[in-house]
Amino acid sequence: MNKQELIESQQDIAVHGARKGDFVRLGDTALVVRVEADDREIGNEVQIGFGKNLRDGIGMRSVSSNDSCDVVVTNVLIIDAVLGIRVSSIGIRNGRIAAIGRAGNPDTMDGIDVVVGSGSIVIPGEGLIATAGGIDTHVHAMSPRVCDAALSSGVTTIITQEFGPFWGVGVNSKWALDHARNMYGAWPLNVGILGRAAGSSTAPLQEALAGGVCGFKIHEDTGAHPRTIDTTLKFADEHDVAVALHTDGLNEMLSVAETIKVIAGRAVHAFHVEGCGGGHSPDVLQLAGRDNILASSTNPTLAYGVNAADEHVAMIISAHGMNPELPSDVQMARNRVRNATMAAENRLHDMGVIPVTSSDALGMGRVDDTWRKTFAMASMFADEKILDGSVAASDVVTDNERVLRHVAKITINPALVHGLSHEIGSIQIGLLADLVLWPYSSFASKPNMIIKNGLPAWGVVGDPGATVTNAQPLLIGPQFGAFGVTAEDLAVQFTNNSATDSTGRRRNVAVRNTRTIRSSQMIRHGILGEIQVDPTGHVVTFEGQHLTQEPQNAATLTRTFLL
Amino acid sequence: MELTPSEQDRLLIFNVAQLAQARRARGVKLNKPEAVSLISHAVIEAARDGNTHAQALQAGLTAISDNELLPGIGSMLRGIAVEAVFDDGRRLVVVDYETSDPQVPGQVTRLEPISQPAKSGAVMISVHNNSMIQISVTTHMHFFEVNPHLSFDRPATYGMHLDIKAGGHVDFPSGETVTVQLVPITGDRVLIGFAGLVDGPLDEPGMKERAIERARTLGYLSEQS
Repeated sequence: MNKQELIESQQDIAVHGARKGDFVRLGDTALVVRVEADDREIGNEVQIGFGKNLRDGIGMRSVSSNDSCDVVVTNVLIIDAVLGIRVSSIGIRNGRIAAIGRAGNPDTMDGIDVVVGSGSIVIPGEGLIATAGGIDTHVHAMSPRVCDAALSSGVTTIITQEFGPFWGVGVNSKWALDHARNMYGAWPLNVGILGRAAGSSTAPLQEALAGGVCGFKIHEDTGAHPRTIDTTLKFADEHDVAVALHTDGLNEMLSVAETIKVIAGRAVHAFHVEGCGGGHSPDVLQLAGRDNILASSTNPTLAYGVNAADEHVAMIISAHGMNPELPSDVQMARNRVRNATMAAENRLHDMGVIPVTSSDALGMGRVDDTWRKTFAMASMFADEKILDGSVAASDVVTDNERVLRHVAKITINPALVHGLSHEIGSIQIGLLADLVLWPYSSFASKPNMIIKNGLPAWGVVGDPGATVTNAQPLLIGPQFGAFGVTAEDLAVQFTNNSATDSTGRRRNVAVRNTRTIRSSQMIRHGILGEIQVDPTGHVVTFEGQHLTQEPQNAATLTRTFLL
Repeated sequence: MELTPSEQDRLLIFNVAQLAQARRARGVKLNKPEAVSLISHAVIEAARDGNTHAQALQAGLTAISDNELLPGIGSMLRGIAVEAVFDDGRRLVVVDYETSDPQVPGQVTRLEPISQPAKSGAVMISVHNNSMIQISVTTHMHFFEVNPHLSFDRPATYGMHLDIKAGGHVDFPSGETVTVQLVPITGDRVLIGFAGLVDGPLDEPGMKERAIERARTLGYLSEQS
């Protein structure tokens, strides 16, 4: 490019954002994506504002929302595990994604997919990235503020195990669950609650089912015994609900091989499969790579860093009611912390073996760190790119596939594992318009806007008395969609087909297809294979290949953005 | 003190700025929230000291320097908006920090220039502004229906719009003649609204003749050159 072309390109990028063929660095990571497609027509790009072309009769068609859209997010860089990496516009009707493609007025422009009405709400997406809302399947809602933190990080759905400063690992009381649905109505956040699977009989499971849980949690703190596992999975098979599993870390009643045997090929979601969060020591990681066992990670072990091991000993003691004065407790905690399995876990993510990331919020993870840690981890495996023109554009090896794989871990794959994908998980026509808009510069670290069911519900707000919206101090907090009964209307409660009745305004949605889902169906993952952890916990292999990774001194997306 | 929400927000800026100053004093390189707080704080305090808007802006621009920042921070310090209380009232100051740091988080790199495909059916038209004020026309406006004080071969612009970048505009200064290139409107070629000269499908038989007649009746052709 000559100097004039360079200046014009920079101006064009400033106005219209990235276009097809452009390279975009995500935040301060080493990840660079190349835009695969652009649904705009050059010369007919629509934009809202003074002197722009989204005006009545020009870019806007003078029709009602029925014949156009309630809301249009224009010309945004979509990064979606299903849709790929493309610039497009998203049309929203009644809270759902109604159209994706070129936006404008078909009366005056060719190839319009998203009709902008003269009355449509327009959210300019130029220069922003849109992802589906994050789904965190492992939340201990030990504090109501966890919901604020989740939304502020770009998470729009949580699967939680309690609602109060008590260690629940599942709640079964129907009376309590009825209250819970109303409490969670205060946030524009989709919520599913797991019942406690401490059932050697089905009575507690039956009650939780009637109370509207969307699945069950088996946890060693309340018993991950063979009988519990079998009873719960049998019950889940009968009622199509998901089962999350934190295995017997003490190997008190069974070792990892016996747990696999008791599961007997049935679908189960293995939480924190690396093991720091709990489960068979030292080899719970062997659960990953199997078709029926859907493995996930919790975020403190991701983007494996030099301080990870030291942090975890303190975390285990503090989170699990242990006593640091008791040498036996300290030893038990130390047994759970292994550098080799953390290193291997990060590699297995990049390889596409472990399909899901989550937080373990307030129970050994950070609810507002999953996007960040997932992409800081992806960045560890990305090579630096040469983008100074000395290498032809077509020869630059980009991270598109890696980035889409990591988006899948926090959107579509957790939706599939927990039976939510008929409502959420990607930017597809018919699904709820749960979207996160991110600046290119702070992707996966600090979002700009959280759109819930089509309406801005959370995001960056500034000085309320200012002349403009962006005056400092900029804070991430509730937008209008979080107020009044709208918060309750903008989200769904994930429940089950046998839930007897429901309280509150929130729409109840039964989870689906939780029993037939398999690892091989995980989007941009599905790599299966045998993982071996040697009895010392110091050597991990995948299909005989030794998996190692040096801990990194610094994680991306972190120091740059966090106070 | 009767502090309003907006005033309380000043204290958040002050708190972060105090923290950032302490960190900077220890030789710590600053990250984004730290740097933004120091810029904002400098503007607010310059205003409080009785300085002018221009002086407060300068205080913001010089509140930090590249060598105090972590790599990649400088480029994110554009458009820092701060509302400060000046002696003549509350005023908005927008600080665009200049950096020479080559690292740019979120950078877009374009290695091949884009080109706008040439459109067929383009016409060149000379347009004279007969009025006393400047008239500006945006890209996708139906040129046939623009301000009647613009004098040009209006029938030749039926169904056409300016052939410039989307979202741009052309200024027609008072008393001057400007030559512009126009291209046909695309899509279904249905124009609803505007000045009401067409209000239907452009290519329907007789539509153009009717539109010209309406234009004549409504005085759009009286100043035709």
